[in-house]
Amino acid sequence: MTVVMSLENVTLEYPVDRRYRKEKVKPSGVQNISLEIQRGEVLGIIGHNGSGKSTLLKMMAGVFPPDSGNIATRGSVSLLAGVGVGFHKELTGRENAYLYGALMGRTKEQIDGLIDEIQEFAELKHHFDRPLRTYSSGMKSRLGISVATAFKPDLLLIDEVLGVGDATFRKKSEDRVKEMINESGSVIVVSHSLGLLKNICTRILVLKDGDQIFVGEPSKGIEIYASNTVPNN
Amino acid sequence: MESEQGMEPLTPLWGKRSTLRLPFIVMADVIRSRNLLRLLVKRDLSARYRRAYLGYAWAVLEPLLLAIVYTFIFTILVGSSDPLYPVKIIIGVIGWTLFARSLTSSTKSLSNSINLFQFARVPKTVFATSGVLTNAVLSIVSLTSLIPFFFISDLPITFNLLFLPLWLLVLSFTGWGIGLLLAPISCKVPDVLNLINFLIRAGFFLSPVMWTYDMFDRRFGDGWHAVVAHLNPTVVPITGMRDAVLGTSAAIPNYGYMMCFGIAILGYIFGSIVFELNAHRAVVNL
Repeated sequence: MTVVMSLENVTLEYPVDRRYRKEKVKPSGVQNISLEIQRGEVLGIIGHNGSGKSTLLKMMAGVFPPDSGNIATRGSVSLLAGVGVGFHKELTGRENAYLYGALMGRTKEQIDGLIDEIQEFAELKHHFDRPLRTYSSGMKSRLGISVATAFKPDLLLIDEVLGVGDATFRKKSEDRVKEMINESGSVIVVSHSLGLLKNICTRILVLKDGDQIFVGEPSKGIEIYASNTVPNN
Repeated sequence: MESEQGMEPLTPLWGKRSTLRLPFIVMADVIRSRNLLRLLVKRDLSARYRRAYLGYAWAVLEPLLLAIVYTFIFTILVGSSDPLYPVKIIIGVIGWTLFARSLTSSTKSLSNSINLFQFARVPKTVFATSGVLTNAVLSIVSLTSLIPFFFISDLPITFNLLFLPLWLLVLSFTGWGIGLLLAPISCKVPDVLNLINFLIRAGFFLSPVMWTYDMFDRRFGDGWHAVVAHLNPTVVPITGMRDAVLGTSAAIPNYGYMMCFGIAILGYIFGSIVFELNAHRAVVNL
């Protein structure tokens, strides 16, 4: 198997605001994550709020540099984080798609070739040429998923956006992710919907307070996560 | 290892780079991202005026209206009867606005475009650059507000006018460089933004917007006052723009030009180095 990304003892600590420095609380962030992601793999990341899931994704996407440790990648990586992140509300869906493509390093010609498919998949019809501020949140996330998956990065990072839209669209985006995997792209998904993760993941990483407490078998990971959900007083 | 043929090697995300090469790396990044830059500038321009009925006309109206107001105030204060004063004001406003907006937009670029570089690996300098380019385009549009004066005041149409875009380039380049220097610092120390807001307000009066190089020269001559005044990187370019339009030639000493270009170039060298070394870590603070 080919490794598309490797993380080696990756640590990032968020700076503590000067006002709270005296409180001596453990700073948030992630510590000592070591991981290799193979081509064609779907890795699920689960953990409680604030356990460092999104931080880890941002480091994988190359947005935040780690304080220590190394991250190496092969091929293109892109992060789908939140509804409408990266979109501009005054631009139309089409213009936003072009901008997004350019941010992913695609040329105008490459985007030209994909634009119809993006419009089709997002089910936006005439709204595709209306400004984004007139969109409902479901429409925005449909556009987001459609655009992000259309450009087929070698590694797609998805942060909590797969559970959007109505049942049909959810099914469609699940299928799209599976299709990406079949085309040997790799996917890393952060989600709280355990059913979805069980369905599509080949491995699961469990984070707790920024520490990596488990990597492996999805059903085992979910079990560990669930046992941790019980408040330990 | 199998099936790795034809694949690029595993490359570290944060490889080591030599500090002295950073100014060139930044330039190369910007040139390489021109497609993205074009779209970002287009986005900024259309987002700014898309909903306004008058659209881009605002870029022309703004300096014209300001010129009317300042001419009025100045006539009350000094009783000036210089018929070319409105032209000088318009040029001053366009030049100063370009510098001020280039400086603010590149200083604020990291915090303003955080949601654009959060999902893909894009050189962060691109966002500082796109704001500067947008304002450069707007200032060229604003220059059209000078056209009526070529008829009203019978201004000379000469090759000197070609210096106008050149000085605009110097102004935006200087604002860009200093902005690159301040952008990562402003993420860690938000006070920098307050300081910038103050400097922009004070700078409006300390730069030759309402006054001209000649007025300053007559009042202070060429003592230490003049040296301090040339530390303001807008003095020489704005005066240069006025000379280009009015066909005059202000008595700017050689050291004035050297300081102006020196600040622009050193600003860029230090700015690009500080930006590349700190910006990536600084965005964690946002």
